[in-house]
Amino acid sequence: MAEQTHWLGAFLAHLSPRVQEKLLALGETFHYPAGQSIFHEGDPSLYLYIVKSGQVAIEVHIPSKGRRTIMTAGPGDLFSWSALVEPRLETASARAVDETEALGIKGGGLMDLCREDPALGFEVYHELAEVISARLIATRLQLLDILAA
Amino acid sequence: MSVAFPAIEVRSPVDPMLPRPAVIQGVRPEAAGVFTFSMAFANPADRAAYQFQAGQFNMLYLPGFGEVAISLSSDPGETQLLGHTIRVAGNVTRALSRLKVGDVVGIRGPFGSHWPLEKAAGRNLIIVAGGIGLAPLRPVILSVLTHRDAFGRVLLLYGARTPGDLLYTREFGRWREAGLEVNVTVDVGDENWKGKVGVVPQLFYFVRMEHKNTLVLTCGPEIMMRFVIYEALARRIPKDAIYLSMERNMKCAVGFCGHCQYGPNFICKQGPVFNFAAIEPFFGKEDF
Amino acid sequence: MPPNLPRVSASVVIRKSSLQPVFDNLKAAGFTLVGPTVREGAIVLDEISRLEDLPLGWTDEQQPGRYRLKQTNEPYFFGFTVGPHSWKQYLHPARLPLFAARKENGNWAFLPPQTPPPHYAFVGVRACDLAAISILDRVLLGGEFRDPHYARRREQVFVLAVNCGHANPTCFCSSMNTGPRVTEGFDLALTELPEAFLVEVGSEAGSEMMKDSAWEPATAFELRQAAGVFQQAEREIVRDLKTDDLPQLVYDNLEHAHWDEVAARCLSCGNCTLVCPTCFCTTVEDTSNLRGTMAERTRLADSCFNRDFSYVFGGNIRPNIRSRYRQWLSHKLASWIDQFGTSGCVGCGRCIAWCPVGIEITEEVNALRAKAAQ
Repeated sequence: MAEQTHWLGAFLAHLSPRVQEKLLALGETFHYPAGQSIFHEGDPSLYLYIVKSGQVAIEVHIPSKGRRTIMTAGPGDLFSWSALVEPRLETASARAVDETEALGIKGGGLMDLCREDPALGFEVYHELAEVISARLIATRLQLLDILAA
Repeated sequence: MSVAFPAIEVRSPVDPMLPRPAVIQGVRPEAAGVFTFSMAFANPADRAAYQFQAGQFNMLYLPGFGEVAISLSSDPGETQLLGHTIRVAGNVTRALSRLKVGDVVGIRGPFGSHWPLEKAAGRNLIIVAGGIGLAPLRPVILSVLTHRDAFGRVLLLYGARTPGDLLYTREFGRWREAGLEVNVTVDVGDENWKGKVGVVPQLFYFVRMEHKNTLVLTCGPEIMMRFVIYEALARRIPKDAIYLSMERNMKCAVGFCGHCQYGPNFICKQGPVFNFAAIEPFFGKEDF
Repeated sequence: MPPNLPRVSASVVIRKSSLQPVFDNLKAAGFTLVGPTVREGAIVLDEISRLEDLPLGWTDEQQPGRYRLKQTNEPYFFGFTVGPHSWKQYLHPARLPLFAARKENGNWAFLPPQTPPPHYAFVGVRACDLAAISILDRVLLGGEFRDPHYARRREQVFVLAVNCGHANPTCFCSSMNTGPRVTEGFDLALTELPEAFLVEVGSEAGSEMMKDSAWEPATAFELRQAAGVFQQAEREIVRDLKTDDLPQLVYDNLEHAHWDEVAARCLSCGNCTLVCPTCFCTTVEDTSNLRGTMAERTRLADSCFNRDFSYVFGGNIRPNIRSRYRQWLSHKLASWIDQFGTSGCVGCGRCIAWCPVGIEITEEVNALRAKAAQ
């Protein structure tokens, strides 16, 4: 596990070693060259992703205004939690800004694991709630910033 | 002479690009930069012949300025006076906003597809509108309230940027009394606003709904409609029970100029009202 | 038919010089002849009246992004394929008054145009262009609404078609099932032999125009010569477009990275839409006098490559070249099929020749297909 420790960001690092191991075992590593699209808004959301290295831009496209990056995910950051929430469709697009390696955990597999192992399930969803809450506060600040302008 | 072309029954008058004159009977401001015209054809024969269905639009022509596609926002059961709610967005709409009672404009229409009220009998309706998007849905509300018993629960989920941008607020009381559940929100509130604050799709979290036997009709900015559809699908509304009204550049409204194409569809012919299942492969595709 | 006129569906032969009496008959019947002629280094369409106006001895050499004329010593009037013009400039003019508006006593009256269009006789219509006219018929006359301006011009057209005896590397009519041989939709169809024209009579009007042309029934030898002409044209077609996976191939790959590659080359100049015989998009222009008592609405040709073509309040739906090129190709080869029941492309190759950077529509589809399969 030594090779992976340097990128264990907020989400994975706060999980107990037992849970960490189970999640990493469930994951597959994806490689994306700089500029490559990872998924488009509206695509079925199959994977929860954690960035291992590189940078991912989360974008929306606004008709006649173009693409806007609303968030970036760097090493350790989590994106595409839509894989765990119905209707399991991506609500934004993701694109590798730099050459990126990401761990993808199948949403369906993770949910099954959480159901079979409630203790694991609690840890995972607790940490997820922390990540999403932090995002929501950040988004509020973004909104206030834009409204105040 | 040479090739024979097929004989097709023509629905419109001989030249579908030729407008008919109509006289403005009333002008009412609705919100900042938004007003409603009511107008009547100058010619009694045109008045008697004109029929439309909820969701359709007219091309309004101001000689020397140009034409705009505007949805009808009045009751389809009352066609002597036609209502159009217009937001000032360019040269033509700005020029229209300066017209007064008695002025004359040209009308071509009605064009386009309509909200599927014929499929809604006995079912619940969730009408979701953002901003000026309530205007093409108002004819649905008026038709439904005229025949209220023909439908199940009827809900309106409506929002605008600010309280001052809300349309038709004078009518909400009457609509509630006639059996429409009215839920309103604004993106940003002010000191006087006592209602909900949040984007329109958030209103889904405040109402109960069954996913069976329910149609969703939505109109508003395309981004809003993307998230409305997301919320509807999350609540297990089938894709083919969702209808939306799309907008694209339009020059002729009769399928010849090519501007309003959306994949294989012409917004002026197969639209503006679409069944979501029919356009799903194209909906939300970037720059499409 | 009177004994001095050939019957419909007959194949007859005339000396080449006897085409002039056919032209004269058309003029006498009130037709304005338009046909190919050499001008400014290209074979364009223009009003003609005499055989001498035709490009005798000229041929064209076309490649992606390249068009050149060459003089030959051969006595052929129609030894070329297609130039930058197509018949849509007469049927679907680039500038057309729609109506005038006049203010009288505070009321507006809307008046349709009064001048009737000319009766055209199209001379030298190739099979691909004939198919293009038939495609425009479906677009503008085959739907719920009919374009009365197109109808009025189209109803009166006399078609004098010509079979191709040679093909350019840009041609791919055989892939689109539109040629190289003319099969229907004509009043007269010519196949140019070394010393004569073989004429197929397609209609009574065509037959009538053969008066005084000293026609004779075609001999078996002449029919064999004509067959040799069609085969020569077919043999020379080297370009190919596989169409059995259209439209789905395009619909399934609307966000493929390949669109970025072609976008890097495309200038969005719109040449392809100008020369394409089936591109029909238009826009409108409104003018008025200073007192605002008279106004005019004019229809103008437009192109989906124009930046503001897709403008809605707030901006352009297709703000970049990638989305505009995708719109053009996906319309021409995919959504057109769902809209009108046929492909929008006839394989004439003009877009390939007249693209300043030599983008080849056939190669773009092949590339998309190859990459999508990966």
